[in-house]
Amino acid sequence: MEKTYFDKAHFWGRLWSLAALGMLMCIPACFCLYYNIWPAAVGVMKGLIAVIPMFWTIAIVEVISYSPMLGVGGMYISFVSGNISNLKLPCAIAAMENAKVRANTEEGEVITTIATATSAITTTLIIAAGVLVFSPIMPYLTDENSIFAPAFQQVLPALFGALGASYFAKHFKLTVLPILTGVIVLVFAPSMGAGTLIPITVIVSLIGAQVMFKKNVV
Amino acid sequence: MGTGDFKISTFMYLLGAFVFVFVICQSAFFITKAWRQGKKIGISSKDMRNTVSSSILFTVAPAIAIVATVLTLANSLGIVLPWIRLSIIGNISYEVTAAESALNALGVAGGISQEVTDKTQFAAIMWVTSIGSCFPLILMPLILKKIQKKIGTVAKANAKWADLMAAAAFIGLISAFIARSIIGAGKEDIIGDGAGIVSVATLLFSIITMLILERLAEKFKLKWLEPFTMPLSMILAMGVAIILVQILPADIAILEWRG
Repeated sequence: MEKTYFDKAHFWGRLWSLAALGMLMCIPACFCLYYNIWPAAVGVMKGLIAVIPMFWTIAIVEVISYSPMLGVGGMYISFVSGNISNLKLPCAIAAMENAKVRANTEEGEVITTIATATSAITTTLIIAAGVLVFSPIMPYLTDENSIFAPAFQQVLPALFGALGASYFAKHFKLTVLPILTGVIVLVFAPSMGAGTLIPITVIVSLIGAQVMFKKNVV
Repeated sequence: MGTGDFKISTFMYLLGAFVFVFVICQSAFFITKAWRQGKKIGISSKDMRNTVSSSILFTVAPAIAIVATVLTLANSLGIVLPWIRLSIIGNISYEVTAAESALNALGVAGGISQEVTDKTQFAAIMWVTSIGSCFPLILMPLILKKIQKKIGTVAKANAKWADLMAAAAFIGLISAFIARSIIGAGKEDIIGDGAGIVSVATLLFSIITMLILERLAEKFKLKWLEPFTMPLSMILAMGVAIILVQILPADIAILEWRG
């Protein structure tokens, strides 16, 4: 039986994913080899234990939920280049609308692949250009005594405020419980780092959402 | 940058260039294959060219926004690693979380609000961000083909639940950082590390600005504004932090209630 385009796309995608995985691991490995320093495995493991439960759960949910919209090529491209929900996904959906094709058809597959690949190339070029243009002035912006120093100290509240705002507005009921949990935990353990606090708030948030979903509250 | 020069060394730039070439090659490969297939099944070249040009236009603004997030991480990690990280499986909230977590695990005061000057700590951050984010690359070759056959129907039936769980996981993550900005203690010797007037003001300003900008973009149908609402709120809120530190009496500006 002749292989369909989808079969072939899966074959290429698998090869590229494995190559990307190799490259991803190659970056820290090259750094360690070049400078001949190796961080203590225990430290790295501790850091990983804090993020893996959430990151890997999100990965499963994302692979499953984006899959019907991004098609085969679009998935393999998007999960290598990243920025999916804020860039690749809306781009692919807009392209299908413009070309008047549907997802999960061969036409849709061709259009989403072209759209996500174009988007990945454009993003990569723009980020690289931005880095080259801005890197000479970075030291002046970020010096400890620079007038801009407080801005960089407050990156996290600024980032998570903006990131959270639209989620809070959309899912207010889901928001109250995890924030309250975080605050209460910190009342008793004020120095707890984000790495330890995250698994607690994520698990509480997931359980809360599941309960509210079952009870039809959300 | 003192002892931090290794973060922007030629070697780091070479690693960055390597990632850059890889991502471009993968995309170019898939475009070529899809284009040929498109011609074969009768999609006009004009339609495919339109897809390319509209996708470029669509991407420019969010990509500039990503550059802004690269810059915000550059203080602590140098400019090259955030560039690499946001070019491959990149996502600002993952990178910040993973880097913070790595530094926490190593017992480093201040997390990424301080410049990382130690190569070993930097290497630990590289490993945690890389391994933490690699799972989709393992998962997809294993399951994507199977799930794409089945998932169409299942996801449609449970779309609401799937969306809800993704949102809940994400909200849980954000909540940890928000709680720390409200009431977390910092290290004694680092000003601006613990929660205080400035962190709470920055947080609130960022939330309010974001809500206002989103409302404006929606009400006046400002399509160009949409991708910028988040970076703009973030940068304006960071601006508020600068202004507050300038205008407030020094002892109030550095007040951190939990130390």
